[in-house]
Amino acid sequence: MTAADRAGLSAMADRAGLSAGADRAGLSAGADGAGLSAGADGAGLSAGADGAGLSAGAAAAVAPLLRLDGVSKSYGTMTAVAPVDLSVAAGEFCAILGPSGCGKSTLLRIVAGLVAPSTGRIRIAGEDVTQLGAERRPTNMVFQSYGLFPHMTVAQNVGFGLSLRRLPPAEISARVAEALALVQLDGFGARMIDRLSGGQQQRVALARALILRPKVLLLDEPLSALDLKLRHQMQEEIRRIHAETGGTFLFVTHDQGEAFALASRVVVMNGGRIEQQGTPEEVYRRPATRFVAGFVGEASYLSGRRSGGVVALGAGPRFAAPGPDAGVTAMIRPERLRIAPGGLPARVADVQFLGPTTLVLARLPGGEVLRAALGDPQPGLSAGDEVRLAWDPSDVWVLDD
Amino acid sequence: MTERVGRAWLLLGPALAVLAALFALPAILLFAVSFWEVRSFRLSPALSLAAWAGIWRDYAGLAAYTVGIGLAVSALTTMLGLAFALAVRFAVRQGDRLMIAVLITLFGGYLVKIYAWKSILGADGLLNQALIALGLTGAPLQALIYSRGAVIVALVHFLLPFAILPLYAGLRNVSDTAIEAARDLGASRAAILWRVVLPQVRGGLFAAIAFTFLLAAGDYVTPMLLGGPGGTMLGQFVLLEFSTNFDWPAGAALSYALLGSCLAVLAVLAAVVFGAGRQP
Repeated sequence: MTAADRAGLSAMADRAGLSAGADRAGLSAGADGAGLSAGADGAGLSAGADGAGLSAGAAAAVAPLLRLDGVSKSYGTMTAVAPVDLSVAAGEFCAILGPSGCGKSTLLRIVAGLVAPSTGRIRIAGEDVTQLGAERRPTNMVFQSYGLFPHMTVAQNVGFGLSLRRLPPAEISARVAEALALVQLDGFGARMIDRLSGGQQQRVALARALILRPKVLLLDEPLSALDLKLRHQMQEEIRRIHAETGGTFLFVTHDQGEAFALASRVVVMNGGRIEQQGTPEEVYRRPATRFVAGFVGEASYLSGRRSGGVVALGAGPRFAAPGPDAGVTAMIRPERLRIAPGGLPARVADVQFLGPTTLVLARLPGGEVLRAALGDPQPGLSAGDEVRLAWDPSDVWVLDD
Repeated sequence: MTERVGRAWLLLGPALAVLAALFALPAILLFAVSFWEVRSFRLSPALSLAAWAGIWRDYAGLAAYTVGIGLAVSALTTMLGLAFALAVRFAVRQGDRLMIAVLITLFGGYLVKIYAWKSILGADGLLNQALIALGLTGAPLQALIYSRGAVIVALVHFLLPFAILPLYAGLRNVSDTAIEAARDLGASRAAILWRVVLPQVRGGLFAAIAFTFLLAAGDYVTPMLLGGPGGTMLGQFVLLEFSTNFDWPAGAALSYALLGSCLAVLAVLAAVVFGAGRQP
């Protein structure tokens, strides 16, 4: 099945989005998940198999700046990265998202040249760099633990790459000042590294990597050592720096919120493979696999069966959703559920006030649990109450089991 | 606060008492003795510079030679130790086991090592037997033992762990990420060594140089047993002045002269190690 077929299919599925009249629960067909999950099954998605998303066309239009073909890494019998194809366009901010041990950091280190791949080729701006070591690649990395040089000042750290290239001292200090200004550390040049806070060290690491104007900037969980507030602040900083420099950023993280906030494209990895790639919205709303659905956010899962293009959920609702006859799971994000008179009846099991939303866990008569994040305050709602939960047809996503 | 100070003194006290009684006091006494006089085999307190003048006249050349041997041994040992410590830290998988092996060699007695070299380098020693068996020489080489070379070889062997241990301790503190970052920024292996690794182990490097230099320059047993007439060092004459010559003032002055020259050399070395490569 080609991308075009899938695009057609999902469009068809959208058109078929009609209320399943009988139960009046406001259910309707989601788009078809079958095509996407089939594509994600194999050795990972290539650029062409980007799904029906908006980014696919944009990424395919220009030759990719960074291209990985069949890149894998095994240590003995242990496979860290299964053969992966990945393309990143110039100027793109791409996040590799996955749980720890999924191979995302190894993949980044392969791009950096710090780890030699077992198979495959890496091309940057058309040039095959597979055989080049890290010191000769047009990439620079911001490390998770920064890797700053403790025996040097801030300015010496930032200027290290330039001084290796034997640039005149005047030019080095001018460019160091420029790089420090970019990360808002003007005037910190003479400080020693151990006199800086964690956030400031992070900025030095960024400046030190950016000063060489890498073709691809690699960021390996750079914010994970920072506290929450500082992390949000640095996320904004990194977005601003990406916009100001117009560079190509490849960012590795295990935090889906961080990936969504920063990246224009998210690549979800699991067990050494790419499960899905697309815009944050695609990955969130139309996950290719149950793993992706669960990793990028919370959801309610209702099991059912599809026959003849109609899905019948165990909980009752039926709706049209083209695809092969098989067991399916319908996924609904918590914030898409609402309390409405025509909804499915369920009994409240727990109510948690989370600040912006109130999370309501409600059990359906069949035993399945709906997770509803309700925006409006829910005074008086407590465990044991009966509620009716409804959702829009377009908010259901069907995953083949 | 006072309780904490009290506890600190309680912890420091015993060791300080031992050091004061068995090192500081004798050292001060020895310094005083260097100004005393010996008349008809009787040591008597005085304020005389005769011993100092005498050793300057008799031993200046030998002192320079002794410091030279110390520097040569220190340079050789530190370089070999640095290569070993770098390999253990960066190139070998089971590095810690190698370090345990290094520690074990420290337990082997000092004299045992000297006698081992005697049996290797001697006229009918292992090396000569091997050379004769291989047909490389007809008669045993007499110059192997009782020479400057034999002293240097034995001292390097004995002192190697004293160089490896502080260097390795320093190298363990160099972060792998900093090295990867340097590589990522374009540094060659040589640049990583000179600009990232070595500047971070200045302390360990100086400790290695200082240990090996002081122990080599102050040694008198190795030159006595392996040096022969051409390989004598100043320490042997300290012994000679105290024992055979019964000239304690000369022996004391000679000890302090050797100590003073060694500390002066160390001061220069410290300036080099801690000053080199620092950017303004």
